[in-house]
Amino acid sequence: MSSSLFLHFRPRRVPKDALRFTLTWGLGGMAALMIVQQLLTGLLLGFFYEPVPVRAYESVQHIQNSIFLGDLVRSMHHWTGHFLVVVIALHLLRIFFNGAFYPPRRRNWLVGLAMGVLILTANFSGYLLPWDQLSYWAVTIATSMLSYVPLIGSSLQEIMRGGPEVGAATLQLFYSIHTTFVPVSLFLLMGYHFWFVRKAGGILVPKRKQSGETEKSTSVPAIPELLVREMAFAALVTCCILLFSMFIDAPLGNMANPELTPPTVKAPWYFLGAQELLLHVPPIFAICFLPLSIGLFLTLLPFTRQKDGKPTTLIKTLFITGALFMLILTITGIWFRGQGMTLVMPW
Amino acid sequence: MVPGAGDDVGDAMVEPPSRRRFLTNIWAGLGVVALLQFLAGAAFFLTSGRKRTGKKSAPLLEAGLVGDFPTGSVTLIRKGNLYLTRLEDGGFLAISKKCTHLGCAVPWMAERKQFECPCHASIFDITGDVIKAPAPRALDLYPVTINRDMITIDTSNPLRRSGFTPEQVIYPEERG
Repeated sequence: MSSSLFLHFRPRRVPKDALRFTLTWGLGGMAALMIVQQLLTGLLLGFFYEPVPVRAYESVQHIQNSIFLGDLVRSMHHWTGHFLVVVIALHLLRIFFNGAFYPPRRRNWLVGLAMGVLILTANFSGYLLPWDQLSYWAVTIATSMLSYVPLIGSSLQEIMRGGPEVGAATLQLFYSIHTTFVPVSLFLLMGYHFWFVRKAGGILVPKRKQSGETEKSTSVPAIPELLVREMAFAALVTCCILLFSMFIDAPLGNMANPELTPPTVKAPWYFLGAQELLLHVPPIFAICFLPLSIGLFLTLLPFTRQKDGKPTTLIKTLFITGALFMLILTITGIWFRGQGMTLVMPW
Repeated sequence: MVPGAGDDVGDAMVEPPSRRRFLTNIWAGLGVVALLQFLAGAAFFLTSGRKRTGKKSAPLLEAGLVGDFPTGSVTLIRKGNLYLTRLEDGGFLAISKKCTHLGCAVPWMAERKQFECPCHASIFDITGDVIKAPAPRALDLYPVTINRDMITIDTSNPLRRSGFTPEQVIYPEERG
């Protein structure tokens, strides 16, 4: 019965080339695995977490200190959340360079983008929940960035905070988004995402230039060839996450204090690119123009002209330049900015 | 033939898919209407709840008597999360604690006589005016009234300002 369930998600036979690890680097599967893990660890944390200021911090402390394996479960949830952002970014890069977003995969690319936004939303809304100094001030800074959006900025900020300041209303809003809205939407879209991969005839196997036709036609049974590979990889990834979370605890600072900003506080790392940019260019560019143009570029990407199933040189150059630009800004923001945002060396 | 397809039999026979397409479009249209209704309902649901919980108690804050604040001093008014500055000439300013850059709480550095933001190193002078960017404008002000030496601060809505002007300073009554 379990094998027939597997065959609902996977075809009976798969092309041998599609099994090559370097084709996908296992990134999509890794993201799916991590999302399932987040659901499970999140479910456990939800039994003890209380989404009210002060109680929130105390309940996280309780999970951390008194619950059996509580610190491990929380650390796994924390670190996997961060890794997931990296993994989906790499997944997006891989899809881009394989050109796996042109029709018939155009709609799936758009679904993937929506899922990416959801994952960032999950990560950001989860940031506030421990209610320590870092979460309080990082969310204050990140939501303050919204106030630079012209015309609707301050209303947007107030909607996000559920009031003028980050407080009980914000915590409840973020909690509902984190535990209901995101998981439900994400799982619906995941089903669609997977189904669409099959509908497009499995994952895209780029044609090799020199290879003959014989190689293309070889296919192998999905059980055990694909199943065993997927299970082994899932076990390996889980093992890495477990080891990492065992040795490095998720941080928990002092309880949130709206009167005192700690000396080094930054927005969540995936927003540090925008925050770094905010130091150098007018706010309207960093907060409004940049995210809109990134979003528009990625959305319109599958509608651009292709060359042999790959993006044209112009599109590739634009994409790589943009990605490198954001990478450099983010790295500067994470490691090269010290107290008071002065430039420092990380070593 | 479809039951109930009585009066336009001719059309249906010539172009069978058109009626089906028409009905499908109606279904889709109704679906969109239902979705909009849900979204509008949800929006009203969420915003009405926000007003109720967002209500603040007592926006008028009695900070103290004029004599309690020496000239050239900055006093943190904990309750309102703001500073009451008394300038050297005796005038008062109620200055918001919130940095205008990204909303961090700005501490007063008494030894350097300036407000220094811990997040991105913006610096403000005693009047809340910007000395060093990235802060785009001076710290917000709260309206101050002085009645028979009692200083009252209206904390309900902070006033935005681009910079410091002498008209912003409120003086005790004897100076008029």
